[in-house]
Amino acid sequence: MAKLSKPAKIYLAIVFFILYAPIFYLIFYSFNSGGTMSGFENFTLEHYAAVFNDTRLLIIVLNTVIVALLSALISTAIGVLGAIGIIFLRNRKMRNAVLSLNTVLIVSPDVIIGASFLILFTMVGVKLGFASVLVSHIAFSIPIVVIMVLPKLQEMSSSLIDAATDLGASQRDILTRVIIPYIKPGIFAGFFLALTYSLDDFAVTFFVTGNGFATLSVEIYSMARAGITLTINALSALIFVVTLGLVLGYYFFNQRSAANAGTGGPRP
Amino acid sequence: MKGIIRASTAIVIISAILFYAVHLLESSSATSGSGSISVYNWGEYIDPELISQFEEETGIQVIYETFDSNESMMTKIEQGGTSYDVAMPSEYAIEKMKENDLLLPIDQSKIPNLENIDPYFLDLPFDPGNEYSIPYFWGTVGIAYNPTLLEGQTFESWDDLWNPTLEQEVILVDSAREVIGMGLNSLGYSLNSTDLGELREATDKLKTLGPNVKAIIGDEIVEMMRREEAAVAVTWSGQAADMMWINEDIDYAVPEEGSNLWFDNMIIPSTAGNVDGAHQFINFMLDAEVAAQNADYVGYSSPNAAALELMDPEVTGDERFYPTEEMRDRLEVYENLGLEMLGVYNELFLEFKMDMEK
Repeated sequence: MAKLSKPAKIYLAIVFFILYAPIFYLIFYSFNSGGTMSGFENFTLEHYAAVFNDTRLLIIVLNTVIVALLSALISTAIGVLGAIGIIFLRNRKMRNAVLSLNTVLIVSPDVIIGASFLILFTMVGVKLGFASVLVSHIAFSIPIVVIMVLPKLQEMSSSLIDAATDLGASQRDILTRVIIPYIKPGIFAGFFLALTYSLDDFAVTFFVTGNGFATLSVEIYSMARAGITLTINALSALIFVVTLGLVLGYYFFNQRSAANAGTGGPRP
Repeated sequence: MKGIIRASTAIVIISAILFYAVHLLESSSATSGSGSISVYNWGEYIDPELISQFEEETGIQVIYETFDSNESMMTKIEQGGTSYDVAMPSEYAIEKMKENDLLLPIDQSKIPNLENIDPYFLDLPFDPGNEYSIPYFWGTVGIAYNPTLLEGQTFESWDDLWNPTLEQEVILVDSAREVIGMGLNSLGYSLNSTDLGELREATDKLKTLGPNVKAIIGDEIVEMMRREEAAVAVTWSGQAADMMWINEDIDYAVPEEGSNLWFDNMIIPSTAGNVDGAHQFINFMLDAEVAAQNADYVGYSSPNAAALELMDPEVTGDERFYPTEEMRDRLEVYENLGLEMLGVYNELFLEFKMDMEK
């Protein structure tokens, strides 16, 4: 790859600075003993202590993570099978129709999805809380997983499956030893995207929470009415660090599997 | 495939561990006892220590949730699927909820601490006899201003806002009844006026304020005043208190012609599951010491006479936030004007805003 010219590097630096400046601004003030986002007084860790002393806030953070992990896992399982189903639809028209329906779900506003879930849950008589949030998060994550997995499936040559059949593989073997290993990067990408969608979703969750169950985005929104306290800054800083760790972990994971692929040999 | 199965198992195990952690946290924050209640309140509108204290004293676990507007709270309650036991809406929301049968009557015999409340705040037009609601906090609408940016100008009258030196300095709160009400008050009319002639006159007067108005916004007012981006704001007393907490230069005044007096109240929604616990909670919040601690934390004006005696006299003697009864006589509570009249107010407010853009 050609080296970047100097103006290009400067441009890149400016763009990244603009993107990250608000986050660092927020983290910087989480150490402010002054209590507001204007005028830095002294370095303090009291806001971090406040985060760990507020059990309600901690419960909300943990709930948010649980919902994100489980909804991402379940929607990935459903989404991958759905994508495989779609790709093997013989009827072209039908396949396009199903794909369009999937896309409609991605582009339709969260508010509408949230409102319709609220109406559905109250009509069926489901109590609003953990279950309703989990179900709605799974629902809006599935189309995203499908979109992430489809390109991998499309690029997979159908002769791979023919060869496997020739060699005596059963339907089950084809799925678990040919298709899924091939689309594995797509599956992980879909999982991580579903995870982030669930973590930062506000609109849908806002409609379907109730009975004391809240996720972080909904809680911060309510707190912001009376001005954001630096506890939120501290919490955001912690979450930012954890996310950074996750991204780095994902990066090393990818590096390793890329290296494995380079040495050849069948992947498990 | 193995990798995927391994990753999935790891996720399930992590989730299970987190579940267990949540369970531990929940049980550590609540002492075992008779059931739980759900409290639905504005964000940052209670001292969290008091919740723990209530849990310790009664053994009832409190599930605490917050909302950001009367409208979203009403929708949640109306839709069902939730079982809030206590909520804290503003007075106009109470009238609406009463009309829609969303409230349960309060049994005053279970709330002995009601006697702590200043009688002035009981039996108000929006809920005669306090059948459905108990006052929680109250406040006024007035002018917050920063004298250091204004060469010492002060505000005694709404008409001071029309001073030509204030060009592009005044922020208004984005709410039809507050702004039109201010126009009506400045002319000496009632802010519950339904006389179309008076309303027209008030709107025409407001239009002449146009050159002085910098912005018509919501909660951002507090930040803008703190950062001294604006010098004058028409706003609620609670927001003014928030500003003064950070920026000590800011002052607050309720104009002499009169203004609005508002209340947030504790109510029991019709969906409540633990009515007995709800009464206990309301009674607890009215306790003199509890109410004093809460008012100290939240910073709004408390209607609890017994609590005021326990509080710092410098705070309770501050006539900007605890106006004397004589001053309060000039203040009016919003009456429910009906949908049609509200439409007229909204339309006139829109007309005023459109006129500003010219």
